[in-house]
Amino acid sequence: MNTNLKISNVTKIYPGCVANDNVSLEFNSGKIYALLGENGAGKSTLVKILSGVIIPDEGKIYLNENNLKLNSPLDAKKNDIGMVFQHFNLFETLSVFENLIIDSDEERESLREKIDSIMRKYNFSIDLDIPVLNLSAGQKQKVEIIRCLIRNPKVLIMDEPTSVLTEQETSELFLSLKKFSEEGILIIYITHKLKEVMELCDEVAVMRRGKLVSVSEIKNENIESLANKMVGQNLKTIKKKKEKTSSDQLINIINLNFISEDPFETNLSDINFSVNRGECLGIAGISGNGQSELFQVLSGEIISDKNSIEFNKNYIGDLNPQERREYLMAFSPEDRLEQAAIPQMAIFENVALNNFKSSNFFNNGLINENKIKEHSKKIISDFNVNTDNIELKSQFLSGGNLQKLIIGRELITSPDLLICFNPTWGLDVGAINYIHETLIKINEQNKSIILISTDTDELLKLSDKISVIHKGKLSKIMNADEVTSEKLGILMGGGN
Amino acid sequence: MIIDINFIGLIIASIMASAVPLILASCGELITERSGVLNLGVEGMMIIGAISGFALMTVTGSLIIAVFGAMLAGVLISTIFAFLTQTLITNHVATGLALTIFGIGISAMIGKNFVGIPGKEFPVLFEGLKDTIPLLGPILFGHSIVFYFAFALPFITSYFLKKTKIGLIVRAVGDSPESASNQGINVRLVRYACILYGGSMSGLAGAYLSMIYTPQWIENMTGGRGWIALALVVFSTWNPIKILIGAMIFGGLTIIQFHMQAIGVRIPVQFLTALPYIVTIVVLVVISRDSRKIRLSTPSSLGKSFHKDN
Repeated sequence: MNTNLKISNVTKIYPGCVANDNVSLEFNSGKIYALLGENGAGKSTLVKILSGVIIPDEGKIYLNENNLKLNSPLDAKKNDIGMVFQHFNLFETLSVFENLIIDSDEERESLREKIDSIMRKYNFSIDLDIPVLNLSAGQKQKVEIIRCLIRNPKVLIMDEPTSVLTEQETSELFLSLKKFSEEGILIIYITHKLKEVMELCDEVAVMRRGKLVSVSEIKNENIESLANKMVGQNLKTIKKKKEKTSSDQLINIINLNFISEDPFETNLSDINFSVNRGECLGIAGISGNGQSELFQVLSGEIISDKNSIEFNKNYIGDLNPQERREYLMAFSPEDRLEQAAIPQMAIFENVALNNFKSSNFFNNGLINENKIKEHSKKIISDFNVNTDNIELKSQFLSGGNLQKLIIGRELITSPDLLICFNPTWGLDVGAINYIHETLIKINEQNKSIILISTDTDELLKLSDKISVIHKGKLSKIMNADEVTSEKLGILMGGGN
Repeated sequence: MIIDINFIGLIIASIMASAVPLILASCGELITERSGVLNLGVEGMMIIGAISGFALMTVTGSLIIAVFGAMLAGVLISTIFAFLTQTLITNHVATGLALTIFGIGISAMIGKNFVGIPGKEFPVLFEGLKDTIPLLGPILFGHSIVFYFAFALPFITSYFLKKTKIGLIVRAVGDSPESASNQGINVRLVRYACILYGGSMSGLAGAYLSMIYTPQWIENMTGGRGWIALALVVFSTWNPIKILIGAMIFGGLTIIQFHMQAIGVRIPVQFLTALPYIVTIVVLVVISRDSRKIRLSTPSSLGKSFHKDN
């Protein structure tokens, strides 16, 4: 049977922001639709309206000509709309089966049979009786998909599904989605990754700042045209000039090990690498393979053996982050609001936080506010942070602006080495471009970068050398121009 | 000195009796905490239960009204907590502490007129069977209905959490209220219900103290048992069966140290009095060391307010 889903004049207004501005769209089963847009474009709001999580201020939703009242997620489920959220909606401490039975009305036995037959049909293999927290991201996503399929949905919405997957897992997902589509399920695929849209979808709707900008068929589009529609301006493509870098070694990691007491952390074993001046070393990997531990060891949040880290001819393995900063290292952690900045504090206070000794921000224990503010203004203008109020609490900055502020704060002391962890995670194309340009500029000034990232494209674009981390072990270090994303994908999955 | 085997049985029975209020209050609080709510008002709810039970018994003369009235009183006072933390989204810790202070104060006020009034005898079951089996007789028979209920409760609680759908929903809400809400579960309703249930069990625990264990009203008669119940929940890593073990150790050491004091063992009294607290916590920490299991049974959202925004 054909499924027709119509969104008609939907508007949702939040204080200070129009998330959806009079959006109308129509979908038909048999096709895969992409909903494309930057962060904050309103696509997540729109699909949350479709799944009953958010109630729109105005507008109507029709499924096969029936006007749907979606006041809760339950209503969406009852009307055969299934949704896989970007941040998984699973209960980590419950078993897979418990996660699936919780919103089902079926008996245990018949549900188990149903799940088994779904898994056989689509070639999923997941142990139903282990807790969800032991699953990989790809498996968790499959659990979410199974949860939707149990209800024989007419519509399946996927919100940024590949942000946590490897290349291989992504292509597996695409195969499944195509199969679902052939079976008559209407698929709406939300993303900001243009390559995926080109590869998977039949039609694409682009949103920008809450408004629907265009609806078109994929065959009439290409990556550049979509990017320009998404950003609303012509993006320049940036490329790093790969030059011969110096052979002057800046940091050398020697037989570094880390054994964690927390069973949910990854142990690091026998990490060895070195980075020369002016070089960018990329470290690829699926999240949860020891990146966060490696970052903490490198930044000094976890202290290791003194001789395991040689930086600028000093052994600094036993120093804390503040002491390492004195040796001209700088850090940009993964979680901007949890680790890098304190959300409730003003911009200028956050700027002061990592500059204790070398700066003259503090005199005899008193804060020299004028000095800090002056310095903060310089960072804001040098690094293009889009605000002029340095007393603004940092939680009110957008992700992109906050990341610029953090990188700016680190770079303004002109460090020899910047270690960053997923610096563009969750940012929109414009901000990503800016951060990438900045990182390239650092290398051009003969300063070095260690870039730990789960974004393969980013690594290939910025790195001179690349290594892959898998289960706490580093692969051999490769020259970036000899590596392909396929090769990285295999190494990230633990292959050779 | 000849020790009668039935005397040992009686000591064990008295240990079990002293564990009853701890088991009741802990198992109630365990359900509350499994749904992600930290209610530090157990002591306050218990003492309210104690005075309500005793007062209702004295005024109406009916034990049934008194017991259920005490539970209802626990429910009512926990409703205040539920309204504040779930509807007005106040901080769990501060609200719970306030609840305890409130409970102790109001119970003393109501209790003024009931000081010195003798309690009533509470009927016991299987009295006649007490002497039929040596040792086991006094342990198994001749106790109040509340006593039997308390010793069944950890198993019922464990079954409820592991095997029933509602138990699963409670655990799910405690694990991730956001996900639960997105699945269409009414988080606030589940948490309200769990808080009220916890209140009723604390009320019952209080009634047991003032009506059965020491049938009289004494101001502040819970004497910190609510806090011990809270500690049992945490140190048992939210496992009802381990609560039973912890409550027995605590009850046992409390009784034994009384006997040791009576015999005149030369250990400072203060140390003996502190012993149950220390040993219980050490034992529970030792038997709950597996950090994997801790992670799996700890309600991840414990003490965090959940606010659904639209």
